[in-house]
Amino acid sequence: MEKKPIPAERDTSPKRIRNFSIIAHIDHGKSTLADRLLERTGAVSRSKMTEQMLDSMDLERERGITIKAHAVRLDYRAEDGSDYILNLIDTPGHVDFSYEVSRSLASCEGALLLVDAAQGLQAQSFANAYLAIDNNLEIIPVINKIDLPSADPERVREQIENALPLKGSEILLTSAKEGTGINEIIEAIVARIPPPSGRDENPLKALIFDSWFDNYRGVVVLVRVFDGIVRPGMKIRLMGSGKELDVAEVGYFRPKISPAEALSSGEVGYVIAGIKTITDTKVGDTITNAARPASEPCPGYKEVKPMVFCGLYPTETGQFEALKDAVEKLRLNDSSFSYEPETSLALGFGFRCGFLGLLHMDIIRERLEREFRLSLICTPPTVTYKVTGHKGDVSLIHNPNLLSGKTISVEEPYVRAVIFVPQTFVGPVLDLCQQKRGAQTEFNFISADRIMLAYELPLGEILWDFFDKLKSVTKGYASLDYEFIGWREGDVVRLDILLNGEPVDALSLIVHRDKAYHKGRQVVDKLREVIPRQLFEVVIQAAIGGKVIARQSVKAMRKDVIAKCYGGDITRKRKLLEKQREGKKRMKQVGRIDIPQEAFLAALSTEG
Amino acid sequence: MACSLYIHIPFCLRKCAYCDFLSVPFDKGISVRYVKALIKEIVLRAEDLNASGGPSPLRTIYIGGGTPTLLSNESLKEIFKTIRECFGFSAGAEITIEANPGTLDGSKMEAIVLAGVNRLSLGVQSLDDAELAALGRIHTGDDASRAAALVKESGIENLSLDLIYGIPGQRLKGWRNTLKRALGLKPRHISAYELTPEPGTPLYESLRTGSLRLPGEDEVSDMFYLAVDELESAGLLHYEISNYAYPGYECRHNLNYWRRGEYIGAGAGAHSFIGERRIKNTEDVFNYIELLSSGSLPFDELEEVRKEEAVKEFIFLGLRTGEGIDTRLLKGNASGLINASRALIEGGFMELRGDCLRLTKRGTALYSSVIVELFRAIGLD
Repeated sequence: MEKKPIPAERDTSPKRIRNFSIIAHIDHGKSTLADRLLERTGAVSRSKMTEQMLDSMDLERERGITIKAHAVRLDYRAEDGSDYILNLIDTPGHVDFSYEVSRSLASCEGALLLVDAAQGLQAQSFANAYLAIDNNLEIIPVINKIDLPSADPERVREQIENALPLKGSEILLTSAKEGTGINEIIEAIVARIPPPSGRDENPLKALIFDSWFDNYRGVVVLVRVFDGIVRPGMKIRLMGSGKELDVAEVGYFRPKISPAEALSSGEVGYVIAGIKTITDTKVGDTITNAARPASEPCPGYKEVKPMVFCGLYPTETGQFEALKDAVEKLRLNDSSFSYEPETSLALGFGFRCGFLGLLHMDIIRERLEREFRLSLICTPPTVTYKVTGHKGDVSLIHNPNLLSGKTISVEEPYVRAVIFVPQTFVGPVLDLCQQKRGAQTEFNFISADRIMLAYELPLGEILWDFFDKLKSVTKGYASLDYEFIGWREGDVVRLDILLNGEPVDALSLIVHRDKAYHKGRQVVDKLREVIPRQLFEVVIQAAIGGKVIARQSVKAMRKDVIAKCYGGDITRKRKLLEKQREGKKRMKQVGRIDIPQEAFLAALSTEG
Repeated sequence: MACSLYIHIPFCLRKCAYCDFLSVPFDKGISVRYVKALIKEIVLRAEDLNASGGPSPLRTIYIGGGTPTLLSNESLKEIFKTIRECFGFSAGAEITIEANPGTLDGSKMEAIVLAGVNRLSLGVQSLDDAELAALGRIHTGDDASRAAALVKESGIENLSLDLIYGIPGQRLKGWRNTLKRALGLKPRHISAYELTPEPGTPLYESLRTGSLRLPGEDEVSDMFYLAVDELESAGLLHYEISNYAYPGYECRHNLNYWRRGEYIGAGAGAHSFIGERRIKNTEDVFNYIELLSSGSLPFDELEEVRKEEAVKEFIFLGLRTGEGIDTRLLKGNASGLINASRALIEGGFMELRGDCLRLTKRGTALYSSVIVELFRAIGLD
């Protein structure tokens, strides 16, 4: 046991508190470093440690990313002999969750910028480091994995110096895996990151940087207290929503939940207030004392808007109620996911769901299928379009079928994308961005062989396969980060897909006019591959405004496998037929045509 | 009333590359113990029927395998003696034995005939030696021809040949040859099965690793239709998906399965259907021997067929046959079935003649898809 005894009463004055996050690219070792910090400060003994303590959901572990932020309180006796409270605020690692990252960073006075010694600085860490610098955070650059044979800390040092306003001399070296350099990091957190500056006497002001639904406790909110004190029994007000609640419990995660008498200025911890739904406790909102409210909320509160939409339908029509139940439950746990009921001629009753991005969409869909045992059809994802009608009326549409020919203009969402790429691969990346209708705004060398590019691109273009393409043309050496910058007019059309002459609304797409023919042919070809042969021929057509631009057909089946009869084993025969029936049940029957789930995502897996 | 008996003999000299049916390597000692257990089971099964009116004389008996002709003449004689004593044969009973062309000789034939067998199903599979090798068979095409002649000479004129198409390396032309040569052997019945690679078999592995390749889907489809054409024009009736016979030579034992008649199955892994109950015997040969030596019945799985399943079975079994199903037998479900069939009738997959519903030639080729579609249309899930 390495665990040090924790004094019963600790000094919680701000000068003894350090609040920090870790900014890192996926696989650059954030979880491993977090584990080491927990272990070195005695929060978790080595023998008790499960791999990567902070990631709790199975899905997160499988994908190697952190979806929900967490905070853990570490007690540390520094070399100066004083005891400190170190609050590690974990951040999600994907561009889909950038608002949550921004609120986590806003809760800290400092951040570790963790960079892999072999991979070098990546776009997302760069973007997040800038976000931290803009928030006046103290950055401690740390180069990790120095034990790797391919490690090149000097080159990474050069990249950090060139790309960010940081000094090479500030950089620490570590191998979180081997546990080297950990003490130096903890000492640097104490020495370099400023203590919080709030005052207990001021009215309460606490920033919500994460919240989730717990089946037993209701909503658990993670906060950073900037001013004042929050304690059980207090009536609090959420300054954004105006909602008032009674605090039932406050405390910390160390990493086990441990209730406390109060959270005072500068502290990080949880608040439980009998909240039933997470929509009342949005990330970015400010908690204040209802009896003595703060004059201003914490800056930066905004409602996160879903960027990507798709229809989710049960494969079996009888499952609609089960799906309704499931989306309602998931929404309790994820306020950035939205849903509204919709009807499709082809698919029946379902929901139009909004997500922060494609990864977020995949996660939700997987959770619905895994945790609620649903079989779902997912229509091709689309971005939101801003449509101006003839009467000057403006609407936002999330479903391609709502785009008609009668519009004055259609605007599509644009993003600013930052790409880090080794010089060797820059040519193909420029081609790719060109192909995706991108406009270059920056081209900078951050080291002799590494370039930072910035592009303005339509979000709809990078939604499909941009990241996969980027990975393949750069052999995985490029990284990407992007942010929404606004709406721009685009010449887009709706591409309809017809099966045996009947339009299948769930397969419609919005595409740029110049690419429509190409896309139409590709989708039709792809559908021909994925739609199995059936008793009847299936004709697949792509059309724009009623004009057919591409056609393919799936020939009728000629013969099934005619297996030998196995004596009197009728049960086996029945089971074989049932298996075949089950296989069909996983497909959606539209008219007389069985369409497999993957057909609805055919648009995603096409080129261009 | 169960008037059909199936006997399983689970021994083979060598397992064929495509076979996942129950068989173990032949061992003389084990086979003797097995036959002893089998005889015990026949006795027990007959006694078991006493509660429900006692055993009735059998109209069909089918000795399948494995390779039943691996048994000694003595064993065959004993088995038949037991059956005769416990059940008795009705007049004109159909008594079939399966035989591998590689295990048949004059003395075996003599024993078979003496035992009372009057129908022999010869596992020819192919008459092309390269195809036989791909299947892992122990005999050549000439062996099969000689065996067929031997059967005819022995006085069993009801000869059936098993053939397989869709073999790796097989072409349409080769299949035509096999069909023609098979007809030349003067069978009364031919079964033509499509080769189906079952997981766990050497064939499946060879296909998976790519060392063997099946003919293309369209070519296999052509082979099916070729068999229908060749055999029908030779005068055989396509009376069941995979079975063809000259009029009057349809296999009554198998027809009983398709008509949901009752049957008793004895031997390891054998299936029975008695009183809306499907029973499966233990597949483990040693367990089988052990259970019977302690006087227990060797049942492993018992399934009561529920009403809805019985309707399903009636439909999917009946539609295998050329005669189809008599919808009147479905009583309340008849109109539902006929309505559900409309689209399939229009599509040319089924036809309704009076009250009889059956598959067309095209529908037969697409048997399982048509059944699945039909079940969906009826709402039988």
